[in-house]
This record gives sequence, structure tokens and C-alpha cells, in this order.
Amino acid sequence: MKITTALDSTSLTRRYPKTALATTLFFMLALPFLLYVVLLLMLPFNRPEALNAVAQRLGWDLGHSLYRDTWYGVILLVEGTVVALYAAVFAGVTTWVERRIAGRMQSRIGPNRPGVFGFMSWVADAFKMLFKEDLIPAEADRLLFRAAPYFSMVGLTLPFVVLPFGESVVVADLNVGVFYLTATSAFIVVGILVSGWASNSKWALFGAVRGAAQVVSYEIPAGIAIMVPVMMAGTLSMQGIIRAQGGLPWQWFACQNPAAFVAFFISVTASLAEGNRTPFDLPEAESELVAGYHAEYSGFRIALFLMVEWANMWIMGALAVTLFLGGWQIPFVSVEMINQTRGTEVFPTLLWFGWQLVSLLVFAVKTWLLVILFIWLRWTLPRVRVDQMMALCWKYLVPGAFACFIFTLFWVMVPASVHLVSGVVLSAGVALLLVKFALRTRKNIAQVKGASVDLSNW
Amino acid sequence: MAEPVERQVLRRLTPSDEEIVINFGPQHPSTHGVIDFVTQTNGEIIRRSIPDIGYLHRGLEKIGEAVGYPGYMPFTDRIDYLAAMLANEGYAMAVERLLKLEVPPRAKYLRAIAGELCRISSHWVAVGSMAADIGASTPLTHALREREAINDLLEELCGARLTFNYARIGGVSFDAPEGWREKVLRYLDHLDSYIQEWDRLISLNEIYVKRLAKVAVISREKAIAYGLCGPNLRASGISWDTRRDLAYGAYPEFKFDVPVGEGKMGVKGDCWDRYAVRVLEMLESSKIIRQALAKLPEGEIMAKVARKPKPEAGEAIGRVESARGEMCYYVVSDGSENAYRVRVRTGSFMAMGIIEEMSQGLMIADLIALIASFDIVAPEIDR
Amino acid sequence: MPETVRNYFGAITDVVQTFWQGLSVTLSHMLRRPITIQYPDRTEKRVADMLPARYRGFLEVDMAVCTGCLACARACPIDVIKISVDKDPANPKQRVITQFDIDESKCMFCGLCVEQCPTGAISHTREFESTVRVMENLVFRWVPDAAKPAPFYRPVKGQDAPRAPVGSLMRGYLAAQVWAAPAPDWVVPAPGKDKG
Repeated sequence: MKITTALDSTSLTRRYPKTALATTLFFMLALPFLLYVVLLLMLPFNRPEALNAVAQRLGWDLGHSLYRDTWYGVILLVEGTVVALYAAVFAGVTTWVERRIAGRMQSRIGPNRPGVFGFMSWVADAFKMLFKEDLIPAEADRLLFRAAPYFSMVGLTLPFVVLPFGESVVVADLNVGVFYLTATSAFIVVGILVSGWASNSKWALFGAVRGAAQVVSYEIPAGIAIMVPVMMAGTLSMQGIIRAQGGLPWQWFACQNPAAFVAFFISVTASLAEGNRTPFDLPEAESELVAGYHAEYSGFRIALFLMVEWANMWIMGALAVTLFLGGWQIPFVSVEMINQTRGTEVFPTLLWFGWQLVSLLVFAVKTWLLVILFIWLRWTLPRVRVDQMMALCWKYLVPGAFACFIFTLFWVMVPASVHLVSGVVLSAGVALLLVKFALRTRKNIAQVKGASVDLSNW
Repeated sequence: MAEPVERQVLRRLTPSDEEIVINFGPQHPSTHGVIDFVTQTNGEIIRRSIPDIGYLHRGLEKIGEAVGYPGYMPFTDRIDYLAAMLANEGYAMAVERLLKLEVPPRAKYLRAIAGELCRISSHWVAVGSMAADIGASTPLTHALREREAINDLLEELCGARLTFNYARIGGVSFDAPEGWREKVLRYLDHLDSYIQEWDRLISLNEIYVKRLAKVAVISREKAIAYGLCGPNLRASGISWDTRRDLAYGAYPEFKFDVPVGEGKMGVKGDCWDRYAVRVLEMLESSKIIRQALAKLPEGEIMAKVARKPKPEAGEAIGRVESARGEMCYYVVSDGSENAYRVRVRTGSFMAMGIIEEMSQGLMIADLIALIASFDIVAPEIDR
Repeated sequence: MPETVRNYFGAITDVVQTFWQGLSVTLSHMLRRPITIQYPDRTEKRVADMLPARYRGFLEVDMAVCTGCLACARACPIDVIKISVDKDPANPKQRVITQFDIDESKCMFCGLCVEQCPTGAISHTREFESTVRVMENLVFRWVPDAAKPAPFYRPVKGQDAPRAPVGSLMRGYLAAQVWAAPAPDWVVPAPGKDKG
């Protein structure tokens, strides 16, 4: 008997149509991979000298500096676009990852309908956001209201210029990279402040003021904590800091130096606060301020704000990986080995590209693990209060970061063998803790009557 | 024409140039229903917050005068939709006193079992939504998952998941189905072991404790003066539980403790105590249900009652310990089929009075914690 | 150690310990099975069939065993049930039911009517899904045609009423329901409002 409202339950067994499979695979693997490959192919030539060499080989004369600089500029622009696209795709994929993880942690399933495993839900969401009505409150400051999301977007995209992706895969390896990154990423708060003011809503204003206070305060511990690896590497360049580390855990800065180990946590905490992630999501505290600074936004504009928030996680993760966790360094493969495979030709060898790809993957995996940690924290912790947020910053993080800074001043003078011992001891300790944690997790399931390990129902 | 309530409320707020008046509600994620907290703040510091109630007024007391004595039972579900079993029981007790009925012992036990299950499910929502208001959303869904298990049990017992309408004047509507007892016991085993995990997940979380401890401390004297009841009263250190002290229904036959606030994490009577009392009460309810299931007597589940009972003119009061404190039904009969007056006193309404005083000097986030710690159900306030 | 110092460092260890516990709890839930079901299309059987027998869903009436006593209509606190009885024109001694309407859109599924029924003619089913475009179509008419009224059932002593299995009639009723059906003709249009 056919009941009009109850659908057939035959779709319980999931057989995805080929188009769904193909689209999902494209968006899941091909799209990020494509962006990576484009970057990989372009980046060896993003130095003026390399460009010159390529041009000479093609028989063009780029000797005139104006032409050369124009070409250089165009290539940089294309690379910047690719990286910004990467940020957008990452933000989208992260929404899906976050929702699936959150769902599972909350005994729910999470979005699993569009595409395979529901992966296309972020594409669907993006389209939905684009087609929604763009509302501007009647009493809002229309110009600033519209401009605010772009301020945040600028703050998001500028840091990507110096973020390394792989051994030679970075848009611009500035010699003041770390400094540039902390400076430009703070631009996001301008968007928050402007949106809060322009919305002409009390909730939004509360959120904006909270956001400004929070980001400005946490810049200080973040800045001091960043100084620890900078001192250990002796350079502000992001690639330089990674090159000073190694591929194995005891060669990472976080393990080499106990102070850097602490600084790593301080830096991650501070960047969580700067990125408005739980437990520091005060500017948009849902249960207090409804939605905080973006309470009045809708459609494409809120999509931009949300994109900034999620893509910012990549910056947070990549920064921590770069400074403390060895960046793209491949275990047992030194930078010299990779450089030797490059060859003397203008075009590097295929093997060199292979190593680049491996370094890309190493970096991506490490960053994703940190991103998942941020997601995990968000779905575990409650939110701190405004005064506690400030107290944490000024009473704990700032003195802590400063102590790490002073400690490192002396640490860089001790011989390298001590670094190695500390590295081995610390990484062994971390491994031990991870095992303990896994056992604790297993015990959690065993302790509750009626609970069991069951990985079905995705 | 009387002055509108909003105007009266707002007139009492006199913000200076540096202060703003902001409405927490009637639509706000943390007001637990349609209530408006008109709040005068100086930045994050609240000068004063006045609850403006009445948005959910549905005339539930007035309906009691029109639908006959048995016909009012489903409406009591709607007064406190999270603890409908207990609301049913209170009304049934009041009318039974009017009719001078004796309830069969098995019905009393079933009421106690269903009521305590319902209390656990109500407390799950209370502690879960409190965690959500503090900013952790995972505990909320875990709490709702636990509540679903109880809803399944109660659905099997009486056929509904929210508006149970289980108690009847003179008994209960259904006997426990086959195999239900074992299912309840299995759930209680799960509950007793799960509470530890719950504590590790949220109750003892340092951020959570810091957000709730020493916040909005209600002293013993103040709690009595403002007429707080139930867990809110017990959190201030006053050991008063209608189940134990008035010993109605089957409760005199059970042994259980009454958890009171101890100020374990801060000061006695703070938000964390109000939270912890509820968590501990779930375990006590579990104890009660185990005892009741062990001693469940055989026999009838309904006394002989007329289809349309006409009690003699008079008045009666039914007092039960609902999940939100003492729930009190006052029923007046004029000898006809319909009640002359039904009056309900509820825990959520009693908690509204103290908010104006307690809110002074709190931060905005603390006000949310304070409201959440009272475990408010909006229709209970407005009836 | 002075207390302030102890508090300062105690807070750090508390944070580390409780976060450790909390994170392990949420991680352990990654390994457990989610309890949600995928209503309505990815369940092993229809959700209505998964519900317990006592579930209070749509009210169903078996007119074959209805005694026309009106106990259900009287028990209803919100007048959801409308019954009209008449004499059979062909046989004046036989009384018949010409109308038995239950407004499911208004019903609060309290079950008071079911308890009053002497033969079990009216009972709750496990069906709960019905959407229609015009709300009046949720008034379920158990005597569809007043010209073909249902005669009163006379209970036989010591014998159960031969009631059709609970839910079977409701299934037929729902299967015949059309979502976009126009407003029934017996509905009096509200003034100034065009129905249909």
C-alpha cells in the first residue's frame, strides 16, 4: 500500500549514481589537486631570474626591465588568484568536514545526502548563499555595511601570499614573512569592527567591540610566541624557519626546545582567539549575542564572513606547522637532497617536481590535522566570558610567552646536542601521551553501559 | 486604558548617556521560550534586567473552568511540556482530594516511576541547554540523546513522547507493558554509568566551572524571600523536597537523598550549584525508580470514577515536586461538572522575581547563565 | 606556596586535565554509532511501523462496531469529534449515524475519547503522517456519505466486538488521500476568503 507521505525505503542501500560519484571526486580531489598542480607548475618561475631564463629559452627578450617586471606582476597576480581560490575551496571543504565531525561527536550523522558522503553539501550551501536575498537594514550605514566583508576578505587573502605550501611552493618568500603575516591577518578585525558599526544593531556592536578587544589583545602573546621559533631559526622568512627544522618530530622546533613547546600552545591558543574560534567565539556568541557582528548580514555577504572564518583556520594551522611542527620537511629527506634533484637546467627535473608534491602533501596533512584539532576543540569546549578571555591573555599567555622568549634567548646558546636530546625526550613524551589518550578514549566507551565501538551509520 | 506592560517596564529603566537598553527576547536563542529580558547595560556590565513576561499566555488556567475535570488533564501537559508527567500528577492529586478518592497502590507506583523518568528527561534538557547557553553545543545533543531513550520508554508506556497525559483522576491510563521493566532497568544502568562521562565532558570542564561558579550567588535568605522552589531552592542549601517532606503518592516508601548545593566549586547557591543539584537529582531519581520497580505491587490501576465527576463544592490543593520545583494545583469546585477555578503555581514563575535583583552587576554572559540555571520553561511562567 | 600562586598554577593544571577528559569523550563518540535515524526514506521500515503499539496517532473509527453512544464526543475537551445520529428512514426503529467527523488538524491526541469507547470502535493508530493543501481535508469523515449512514452496533453480551485490525482502516483512508485535493464541498467558505 502506498502512503502518500512515506517514501520508499529502498534507498536505504546506498548506490550512488555515476554523476554524483564523478562530481564528488572532482570537487574532493581534482579541484584542490588542480590548484596544487597549477601552483607547482608556476612557482619555479616566479623569480625574475627564472623568468628571464625561461624567456631566453623561448627566444624572447625580456632584458628590458619594464617587460620583465610586468610579466612578473602578471604571474604573481595569477598565483595570488589561485591561492585565493584555494582558500575558498578550503573554506568550503572545511565546512563539510566540520559538520561531519561535529555530527558524529554529537551522536548525529551530519550532512550525508548531496554527493557521496554528503561532500557536495558545501557546494550546495555556496549556491544557496549566492541566491539568497541581500538584505541591508534600513538604518544601516549602507556603504560601510557593504564594504565590511571585503575588509575581512583582504585580511584573509593577504597572508596567503607568504604561506608556504611546499619546499619551493610559496607565492613570495618575503624575508619579513612572519611579520607580514601577523600584520596583514589582523586586518580581519577591521571588517568585524566596520560590520558591527555599520549594522546599526546593538547585538552587532557588542560583537564588534568584543572582537576588536579580543584580536588586539591576543596579537601580543601571539607575537611574542612567534618570536621563539624566529630566534631559533634566526630569520623572519617562513621558508627559512622551515629549512632550519627537520622532517622528524625531534627535529621540529616544538620538540627541540621546551620553551618552544609551550610557545606552540600559546601561539595556537592566541590564534584561536584571533580567529574567533570556540572557546573564544565571543564576537559571534550565538547564545549571548544571537550572531554578533554578522547578525544583520545575509546572502553573499554572510558567506564571505563565514568563508573568512573557516579559511582562516588554514592560516592558523599553516602558521603553527611552519613555526613549530617542521612545515613541509619530509622525514629522512633533506633540503639539499631535493635541491640536488633539481638539475642545472631551467626546467627542473620530474623527480624534483615529485619531491615538491610530497612536501606539499606533508604540509597539507600536518595542517589538516591541526584544523581537525581546532574543529574538535570547538565541539568540546564551552565559551569563555569576556573578562576571563582578557584575564587569560594578560595573566597567562603574555607572561608565559615572555618567559618562553627569555628562555629561548639562552637556549639558542646551548650546543646542538642538547637540542637533539630535548627533541627526543619531548617527542617520546608526546607519543606516550598520545597512547595514554587513546587508552583513555577506549576506556570511555568501555565505561558506559550499552556503548560499543561501531563505525557504521555514516 | 492601562499603560502597556512594555512601557511600564521600560519606565523603570533610566539609562544614562553611557548605557543602552537592549531586549533579550522575545526572540533570542537563550531565553528558553518567548520571554523578554529588558536589560539596561553599561557595555558588558548589566545595570538591571527586568523580565517582561506574558508572550506565551494561553489562558491555560481559564481553560480549566470550561473542559470538565478529566478534560483538563491534557492541558496540564502543556503547562510544563518538559515534565508533563509531573504536571499530570499534580492536577490528578488535587481533583482526587476534591473527590475524596483513594488511588490504588499500583497506580501510585506507576505514577512515581513515570514521574521520575520524566524528571530525569526534564533535567537532561535543563543541564544540556545550560551547557549550550554557556557555548558548548555537544553536551546539548548528548543530553537530548539520553532524553530520547526515556521518551521511547514513556512512549511505550503511554503512547506519547511529550504530552503524556498519563495520569488520570483516580489512577493512571495504562499499566506497564510486557518487558518494560527490563528496558527501564537497562536504561538506568546506562544512566548511572553515563553520568560520569557527562561530568568529564562538561560538568567539571574548567571553562564551564569558571563560567558558573561564584556567579549570581543566591543566599539562603534571598532564596526563601523570593519564593524560589525546587532545585533552585535546594541549590542555596535548603533541604526542602515535597516528595520527602510532604510524602505524597508512593514516595514515603522509597529511600532517597535530597541533594543540596554545597558550593563545591565556588559559593553555595551559585549557578554551578543549581546545575550540579540537577545532575545529582537524576541519580536520585534513578534510585527511586529502581526501588519502585522492585516493590511494584499488583492490582488495579484505576479507582472507580464517574465519567463526568461532580465533586462537592469545596477546594483542594495538589502539590508535587515537579522538575522545576514545587508545582501546586489549586482547584475550586462549585459542585458542577466544571471546576470553578483552577490555579497553578509553578517553579519557573517563582524564579522570575529574583532576576531583577540578581542581574545587577552581572555581565551579559552571566545573565544567560543565570537564566539557564533557573531551568525556565516559558509556558510555565505565562500559563 | 601562597594561595594565590597555587590558584594561578592550579588553574593551568585544571584546564589541561579537564580538556584532556573532554576531548577524549568527544573523540570516543566519533567511534560510536550515531543514534539518529534518517527519517523518512532511509529507515528499514516505515517509521509508523516502528512505533510502539500504544502510540497515539491519528484516530480511526470502525463504524461497524460503533454503538453511537457519543461517549467519545463528550469526552473530547476540544470538540474534535462531531457525530450526528438519526433514525433510519427505511426502518424507524433502527437508529443510524449520519456523520462521524474527526478533525485531525485540531486533535491533541490525548486519548480520552479512546478510553471511553465501550467497543473499541474509536482507537489511535500509529499513523501520524498526512499533509494536505487544504487544512479542512484533515477532517477525517468516517461516514463519507450521509445518504449511506452506518447503523448502530448492538454489543452482544460475553462476546468481543468484531473490530477490524487497528490501523487497517486508517491506511486505506490515507492511501486514498490526495495532497492537492480541493476543499471539501461541505466546508462553508469563510467570509471574504476564497477557498480552493
